[in-house]
Amino acid sequence: SSSSISTAGSGNRADLEREQQGRVELRERYLRSLFAMAGHTVHFTMYERVNVSASFDASDIDILNFQVSNLQTPLGVHREALLRCSDIISYTFEL
Amino acid sequence: TTKRSVQPPAERPGERRMAEMKKLYGVGAAKIQAMETAMQLAFDRNCDEKQPKYWPVIPLKL
Amino acid sequence: MSEWQRKNPLEWQTYVNKEVKVTAAEKHEYKGWVLTIDPVSANIVLGKLMEDGKISVSVILGHAVKEVEIGNEGDDEMKEQLAHLFMPEESKAYGQ
Repeated sequence: SSSSISTAGSGNRADLEREQQGRVELRERYLRSLFAMAGHTVHFTMYERVNVSASFDASDIDILNFQVSNLQTPLGVHREALLRCSDIISYTFEL
Repeated sequence: TTKRSVQPPAERPGERRMAEMKKLYGVGAAKIQAMETAMQLAFDRNCDEKQPKYWPVIPLKL
Repeated sequence: MSEWQRKNPLEWQTYVNKEVKVTAAEKHEYKGWVLTIDPVSANIVLGKLMEDGKISVSVILGHAVKEVEIGNEGDDEMKEQLAHLFMPEESKAYGQ
């Protein structure tokens, strides 16, 4: 019963379509936010009070890894890096 | 000459993924898949070219 | 999986264009207007207008969300400015 798909009864096509439409709107906006973030400096708040910043390049579609450049860490700079989304609490950028 | 397979053609991964996308996104599936493909291509290409390493090396969580 | 991550798209949509306070892991707190929630990761995208006219976008990862409290209904001016931020008309092409 935790799956959002299964909550829409098989007889209720309208409910399923509303849910699909909602998922499309939410996902499209999120993907657009990722494209908008490309090339911007992003500040990452990670677990254990670790704070870093980097230029965002791309994400995998499962939102598990962010590929970044010029990563500024407390211990130094890395020209290219991958961040695990499971290490990140939040990220912030300006438009 | 070559023996003809009686097996049905194997389901292709791309078709399977599209079926899942349809279930999740309905008529919007193709649009979402196009955007996802663009993002994933950029990710894969950059990872190939730049060989980024995980930072930190050991996960902070779990 | 947390309660937040298990919500369905229609439940997440009730947060869009509302001002919220998000409490996250390690007691971090965020306030802003909900622009979207990614249905794959449950990440919450918040927008905030800055004094210099820029827009600050903060995203809280779905796995780190502890609590989401709804504050004000979006006032119309704020809605206008933020609601279209990542909509097709305003966005640049995503292909490369």
